[in-house]
Amino acid sequence: MSALTLDKPPTPADTASRHRDTARLLRTVLRRLGTALFVLLCTATVSFFLVRLSGDPVKILLPPDATAHQESVLRASLGLDRPLFTQYLDYLWGLPRLDLGDSLVYGQPVSEILADRLPATIELAAAALAVTLVIAIPAGIFAAMRRGRRSDHTVMTGVLLGQSTPPFWVGILLILVFAVWLQALPASGYGTFANLVLPAVTLAVYSVAVVARLLRSSLIDVLSSDHIRSSRAKGFGPLKVVLRHGLRNASLPVVTVIGLEVGNLLGGAILTERVFSWPGVGQLTVEAISNRDFPLVQATVLFFAATFVVVNLLVDLSYSFLDPRVRTSR
Amino acid sequence: MERIHQGRTVDRGRPTRRGVLRTGGLLLGALSAPALLSACGTNAAADGAGNVLRVSQPGDPKTLDPQKQGDMVSMNVLINMFDTLTTRGRDNQLHPRLALSWKATDARTWRFTLRPGVTFHNGEACDARAVAFSIERLLDPATKSPIVELRYVKGVRVVDRLTVDVHTTVHDPILPAKLSLFGGVILPPRHLSEAGDAAFAEHPVGTGPFTFVSWRRDHELRMRAYADHWNGRPSVDGLVFSPAPNASSSLAALQSGGVDLVAGLTPDAAEQLDGYSGVTLDGYTGIRTSYLSLNTLERGPLQDRRVRQALNHAIDVPLLIKAVLGGKATETPALVPRGAFGFDPTVKPFTRSLETARTLLAEAGHPHGFSTALTASNVDSNVAEALSGLLARVGVRARVNLLDPGTYATRLTSDNRGALGPIYLAASTVWTMDGQSIVQSNVRSDRRQSRWHSKEADRLIDIEELSESPTKRKQAFSDLQRLMRQEAPFVFLYQLDNIFARNDRPRWTPGSAGVLAMESAEVSC
Repeated sequence: MSALTLDKPPTPADTASRHRDTARLLRTVLRRLGTALFVLLCTATVSFFLVRLSGDPVKILLPPDATAHQESVLRASLGLDRPLFTQYLDYLWGLPRLDLGDSLVYGQPVSEILADRLPATIELAAAALAVTLVIAIPAGIFAAMRRGRRSDHTVMTGVLLGQSTPPFWVGILLILVFAVWLQALPASGYGTFANLVLPAVTLAVYSVAVVARLLRSSLIDVLSSDHIRSSRAKGFGPLKVVLRHGLRNASLPVVTVIGLEVGNLLGGAILTERVFSWPGVGQLTVEAISNRDFPLVQATVLFFAATFVVVNLLVDLSYSFLDPRVRTSR
Repeated sequence: MERIHQGRTVDRGRPTRRGVLRTGGLLLGALSAPALLSACGTNAAADGAGNVLRVSQPGDPKTLDPQKQGDMVSMNVLINMFDTLTTRGRDNQLHPRLALSWKATDARTWRFTLRPGVTFHNGEACDARAVAFSIERLLDPATKSPIVELRYVKGVRVVDRLTVDVHTTVHDPILPAKLSLFGGVILPPRHLSEAGDAAFAEHPVGTGPFTFVSWRRDHELRMRAYADHWNGRPSVDGLVFSPAPNASSSLAALQSGGVDLVAGLTPDAAEQLDGYSGVTLDGYTGIRTSYLSLNTLERGPLQDRRVRQALNHAIDVPLLIKAVLGGKATETPALVPRGAFGFDPTVKPFTRSLETARTLLAEAGHPHGFSTALTASNVDSNVAEALSGLLARVGVRARVNLLDPGTYATRLTSDNRGALGPIYLAASTVWTMDGQSIVQSNVRSDRRQSRWHSKEADRLIDIEELSESPTKRKQAFSDLQRLMRQEAPFVFLYQLDNIFARNDRPRWTPGSAGVLAMESAEVSC
């Protein structure tokens, strides 16, 4: 929008309108931030009370033949004997200071444990995102260009199959083929590139489907518009038309959905990490739940909620930057 | 490099199943070979040798502070870095470890004489002071220890540099056995006071046969052989523990050469691994003992002894073991597993006769059986369903009620003894190798999970728990098992085998408790 106003010196009306725009944008940002914080507070509250409904961690920490006295000693030393509401207030009070409490099972601060696992999960999500882009973008373009033909149907059927297969099943299948039969890749473990391949592909399968399908339909939309027809009339080859004119116009919804997929990839890692013994946050969550490790469960739930909230926030805001219609409609 | 070589050798020996797929995958295999090579290369370099044993079990340790955990998965790792006062040998007898000898000096005192010249990995001496410090730290509520074995210990007194007295509130005949695992780990006092608990848990220092190298949680824990161990340097240079939460991933890791030995397999998981070339399954009689607890305290058919006996006749344990557990278990006639102190081989199991079961039920006034519920943790769902099916053959319709393990544990230890319903499936790991372990919380009428009140049983348990004479204890155990066989307050089931899957590299035999002490393990490269 500023590019339009650069041609001639700005009039006072233009400046005022720009100020109004900035103020409106700021308000939007603040409102969005407020909503995000509210969502996180709700998540924290719900997870706090839900995990406490799930059972008593002391019963799991101690062997079944522990005496009632031993249980009460351990419960007191973990601070679980205090009134529920006191525990809740304590928890809320710690949140702004990023003090998420100590893990009941591991005995060390939850934030440390989480920070320890985070790199593995981010690495996996990033690799999955890379796989998604490398496969989904060519597949979407290919299918859009061959719309209605058999090759389009083949690609889209494959993609749909990927979208409707649960990730853990894909993972087990890949392990069976590549680790057990072909012995080409390790079935589990962490640390090398070879370890990363199978889990990243597993995690990417769903995202590939989402992105490829959206790109295809978005491209088909754009390709039927007037300016494409005219550039075709100029004699450009079909691939050049798509890459130069179609892709740019079709990219906005696709970029949005890719942003949302980042959240999905981080959150969706739970099952995939489980299948591949990947030492990330997802694996940690499963362990924490089965151990009734309250502070750790709360922290991981909050972490996943926060990634979604932040990604949504960024996507929303980028909308109002990229597409003026979104801004003015408020 | 060694690993790759090994992997390929096994590969060649393998009959060409899925030949087509393999040929198709040659290209892929070739493409990924450089990555694989460098991965193994770095591993071997980090260990300094190829003589490393890689072990996987279902979980990762909770913490590396041995007094802040109470589960076997953590202990399996820690027992390689720490020594205990006593140890359980392959012969099921108690043997010296850090303690050379022990005796009860009076009814409430056990005196331990320590092995001289033992040092921790940091050079600190392991003496009477270290033993006293360790036991006192375990008992201190500030430690938040979930270990309950030392519940009767009142205090420890250092007699001289290599002698300690452990004082108890009651006579505890199996205290030396309790010091063979969770309760008996000895920690370095000076190091702990200097480094603090948190640093210690990150880099544990013990007297054990292996020293800590690194730990990446839920991925792998590495240890190196300790050259100055009092029992000599272990045969393997290094030890790697990694968690494999499900059987299919451990199978895949084993087959793709990622691990050498898989422990903690359930029988049905082991079935999945059976028959693959390059994979050997070893089963050893274990001491995890399963039974059905019957609620005789509430009104209902289970109050009648004949009904309880009928259930024991109806449940064909040998059939169950064969059909559901792949033969990987051994029948237990009356709760105490074979191998444990107190097991009496003259007590015979029920005849497993449907005819007898039906007759007994008819006599008790249930000619057409009755309806009831059978509760189990969902990890035991296969067994629970099979038990229900066996009971149905005599008309006892037991609805199976599966709970997640956490809820199950909460109800098992709740004050309400009926919280798990009229019949529940339970199991206990008798790692002290003394019958008391399984009897203690299940039988005497004042105990948490006791659902059967018998004055005679209470009297026998008092003898078994408090006598100093092993002969008297043994007699009490025999009498108790005969009584239980007669009154049938439980349906006696089986003790599970410890099952290990391995490739051709490791040579190692576990003890009955199945603890993964790898001091004696060897590998071929």
